[in-house]
Amino acid sequence: MVLEENDPGPGISVLLPGHPRLANDESDQVFHTGAILAIIDNTAGWCIRDHPDYVEGTSMATLDLRVDFLRRISLTQTLRVRAECEAINDNVAFVRATAEDAESGLVVAAGLATFMLGTPSGLEPKIGPV
Amino acid sequence: MGDAFFNEAETGLMCAERHLERAGYARFLEIRLMIEGDQLQTVLPPREDLIGNVNLPALHGGVLGSLLDVTASLALVYHAVLTNPPRLVNIDVDYLRTGRVLQTFGAAEVVRMGRRAANVRARLWQDDPERPIAVARAQFLLPQRGV
Repeated sequence: MVLEENDPGPGISVLLPGHPRLANDESDQVFHTGAILAIIDNTAGWCIRDHPDYVEGTSMATLDLRVDFLRRISLTQTLRVRAECEAINDNVAFVRATAEDAESGLVVAAGLATFMLGTPSGLEPKIGPV
Repeated sequence: MGDAFFNEAETGLMCAERHLERAGYARFLEIRLMIEGDQLQTVLPPREDLIGNVNLPALHGGVLGSLLDVTASLALVYHAVLTNPPRLVNIDVDYLRTGRVLQTFGAAEVVRMGRRAANVRARLWQDDPERPIAVARAQFLLPQRGV
């Protein structure tokens, strides 16, 4: 899984090329829904660090994650996951993410997640803007 | 006999084990199956490369979501004795507690099974079944006869 550094859009995007260890079933050779869910969770967490209100070093924990699987995608393809943090309020981060076929751009899965942000690691508790 | 969808000679456990064997991702996670009473349970062995937060340390939320997906799917296969795997339409995961780097167990209940779709609830726990670390509800499309 690699971060796309030249991604123009808001939020971040990562690429995950197909691999046999991501397989749903030997017969269909498509990405496993669990693998798509895991990379959406991961990318959703990462994109929070891209938000201007994120305080560097703050820990985060997924509160909930819902994913709709719109279509299947072959393991010969590469998955692109885009995630954007829409807001951070009262230590809760709200994220939207989509997974698409990197070649065709067709949406494969759509996710919605919230994360609880903890106190920044380190000795001094940091107070945010009031 | 001769029905590819309901094969009387096959048990739910055989179907679930075969699906698990054929799923490269579930194999990569080293998910195993066991039977407790009339319930199918999944087990995810702890592994360093499944840690999402190295400071706590805690298992990766995405991996726990994957385990809920696999648990719900295999419970459905087990109860309905499905020869072909069901297809996940959507899943909604609630994370309740930190997943520590311990063995994680999963079990699921088929809430409703219709002709085309099924609703399943799954939960995960570690040392105490009464203290779930994550729960999920999932909708599956069932394999259709003759497909």
